[in-house]
Amino acid sequence: MIKYLLKRLLHGLISVVIVVAIVMLLVYSLMDRKLIFAADPQFAKQQANDAEVYKYVKWESFGYLDYVPYADYLTELKNAGEIDDQTKSEAASIGRTPDADNDLTKKYVEKFTKNYQSKGYTVVRLDFDKRTKQRAVLFAYKDVNVFLRLGKYFTSLFEVDNIHYVEKTTGEKLENTGITFTLYDPVYNSDPNHKVFAPAIMGNGTQHKYLLYFDNVFPYIHQNLLSVHLGLSYSVTRDTDIYHTMTDRQDPDRYVMQVYPAGGQAELTPYNLHTAVYKQGSRDSLELYQRQFTDDYTLVSNYKKSFSKIGFSFVIGLISVLIAYFLGIPLGILMARRKNTFVDKLGTVYVIFIIAVPSLAYIFLFRELGGMAGLPKTFMIQQATKMMYVLPIISLAMPSIANLMKWVRRYMIDQQNSDYVKFARSGGMSEGEIFRKHILKNAIIPIVHGIPGSVLGALIGAIITESIYLVPGAGYLLTEAINKYDNGVIVGLTLFYALLSVLSLILGDILMAFVDPRISFTEKAR
Amino acid sequence: MENNLIDLSDLNLSEEELFAPVDNAGISSEKITAPRYSYWKSVFRVFFRNKVNIVILAALGLVIAFTYIYPLFSNYDLLENSMNSAAKNLSPSQALSALGYKLKWILGTGKLGQSVFDAVWNGSRISISLAFICAAINMTVGVVIGAIWGFSKKVDLFMTEVNNIVGNVPYILVIAVMVRLFTPSFWTLAFAMTITGWIAIAYFIRTQVIIIRDREYNLASRCLGTSTVRIAMKNILPFMTSVIVTLLATELPSYISYEVFLSYIGIGMSEASLGRLIKEAVPSIAVPGWRFQFWSPTAVAAIVAVVLYVVGQNLGDASDPRTHR
Repeated sequence: MIKYLLKRLLHGLISVVIVVAIVMLLVYSLMDRKLIFAADPQFAKQQANDAEVYKYVKWESFGYLDYVPYADYLTELKNAGEIDDQTKSEAASIGRTPDADNDLTKKYVEKFTKNYQSKGYTVVRLDFDKRTKQRAVLFAYKDVNVFLRLGKYFTSLFEVDNIHYVEKTTGEKLENTGITFTLYDPVYNSDPNHKVFAPAIMGNGTQHKYLLYFDNVFPYIHQNLLSVHLGLSYSVTRDTDIYHTMTDRQDPDRYVMQVYPAGGQAELTPYNLHTAVYKQGSRDSLELYQRQFTDDYTLVSNYKKSFSKIGFSFVIGLISVLIAYFLGIPLGILMARRKNTFVDKLGTVYVIFIIAVPSLAYIFLFRELGGMAGLPKTFMIQQATKMMYVLPIISLAMPSIANLMKWVRRYMIDQQNSDYVKFARSGGMSEGEIFRKHILKNAIIPIVHGIPGSVLGALIGAIITESIYLVPGAGYLLTEAINKYDNGVIVGLTLFYALLSVLSLILGDILMAFVDPRISFTEKAR
Repeated sequence: MENNLIDLSDLNLSEEELFAPVDNAGISSEKITAPRYSYWKSVFRVFFRNKVNIVILAALGLVIAFTYIYPLFSNYDLLENSMNSAAKNLSPSQALSALGYKLKWILGTGKLGQSVFDAVWNGSRISISLAFICAAINMTVGVVIGAIWGFSKKVDLFMTEVNNIVGNVPYILVIAVMVRLFTPSFWTLAFAMTITGWIAIAYFIRTQVIIIRDREYNLASRCLGTSTVRIAMKNILPFMTSVIVTLLATELPSYISYEVFLSYIGIGMSEASLGRLIKEAVPSIAVPGWRFQFWSPTAVAAIVAVVLYVVGQNLGDASDPRTHR
């Protein structure tokens, strides 16, 4: 069983990789790469040579190409010891046009061009722009191919925070780098006379100061050791990874009384000191930081009151899934038992209504009807009430109920004509017993298979429901990313969705085997 | 009794004259005396036995007439009243009294003073055409490939993998890329909705074929040496007719629904389809007198979809030979 499931999982993961490759091909290769700037206000401000350079810098950071400015090449030569500072600065000053270069520059420009052209790069030289008085630029670029991009994406998916992080990224050598374990988390232990037991693992030289800690927010134990990079956003949430966009809690801020690491009086602040991230030289740059912090781990994010995007989607989705199963299955059974009666026909009309009517239409209908009943029609984060969840949950549950009714009825009626039912009936069992003990047990198996899918599907969110009720959930992210040409987000979400779908199929099979002992995965017939 | 016996040799006839072959082709005793059965006649007999179907069919006829014939005469013009500021955003009663008692003002006017009624039927022409074209392509390709997929185990292995992969590429992404790659026109959307849309249908058909393929009567047929093509055409296809018709009944409304959805999220076509009308009228839902602009196309999309679905479902039921009793 385990061997079979592992094989299935491996198979699933391989298809996930192929899916990501296809999506990368779709968004990176098929779509015009200039489109990513369509929703970028900063690009609109740029002109002439600056705009051109800005484009290539952005393209590089979003994985389209490898971009090498001429100055970087000279720095590389200097680091390799081929040239000294003097030559470097002289060679770096390129003329307004190629003819205006001095001899030394000419020599290195030629070297640069030859070197990169032989590696398959395209060398671009933009002359001095007379109108904006922008300097001439020289750079080389080469498109990243799909396999390279795919490899890069999957290798940088997970990142483990380590004590060499600061040295590697900034070149600064910190004293006594290492990982320390404390039983008394300093965030809670500002008063030396009153010790609070709170274990935490802290690092110095790492990116995050707190690697593992406890607090009073679900799930109570948190970690910063392993970070996930699903895909860097360009326009949806600028320069934030889509993983954080989905999982970080949202506005409004939550204020707590706390003491800064440097000590002093407790203050009412929204800053979550557990999220401290290293920023080189930040403590010296601001007097405020010197009063608050003892080291350069000054970059903190705020405590937030609301759920994350996924949190909202999951709460609404999960409740509606529960309602759907608790109502849909009994209603389906009722329809099957009272086949061709008024109840059955009424149920069928409802099922037809849900299947045929566009979802947009009935969600708006539910919203209007709910509004007439006095329920809040939109989500208001600033004044959150429990009632605002009612209509989105109903709108999501109604179609699932119809779907379950349809299938439960179908499967039960199909089972009614099977031989074992006829046998049970001839043995003198009552209809009620036959339904409960025989038909339901068999008819419910395919329904059970779908349960993990619908629970995990709640994580994805619902596009229309969320946008109509203004729920700050995860459902609209993909659409928004598509509309704003945010490739990083598209790829990240696709990976997330594909993993969920692979997982829910496997979990569905496990659950089905659990419910029905006849199903075994150890030896498959076909 | 013995007197009746004739000695054949007394007749003086040759062997050929005595015995002649009898033509047995027309022997009526060999006929099965069941009532004549014609499949399609039975389908329609069963279909029309249910009186609800006649009403629904009439409704379908009305919808089709308004969708395809009415726009020929209505001369729908978006900018007809664009200069007349008094004709904009009128409710039905206001429009009828201000612009005359005509059928076209029965649903009021839109934000450019255009007739909502005409706009809705013009949009429904585009949406229904899209649904029919997508259904025709997807069903044809899906059924043919699904049948091959179900029959051949080698193809099954390969296509199951393809399905796993294509099924996980978000459908809206494929459509969005196609729509952005070309112009957002009717034919681009039709292409985008069919480029991977057939695979779900093929998978459904494949499962049905696998269920029927290994039934005993097909095994018997194969043992008697029937060719695979004949088994497919004569043994399995009749079984599949009701499945295919039922599937078509769910597919057609789903394309209308999906077109509305795509327009709503901003990936739709540039033509004034039902989805686009609904999307553009979403802001008007908040204004008391303007609600007809939103609910008219929504209601028509719903009616069209329900009518198509019910006719298809009941036709699917009727085309199942087990109901022909």
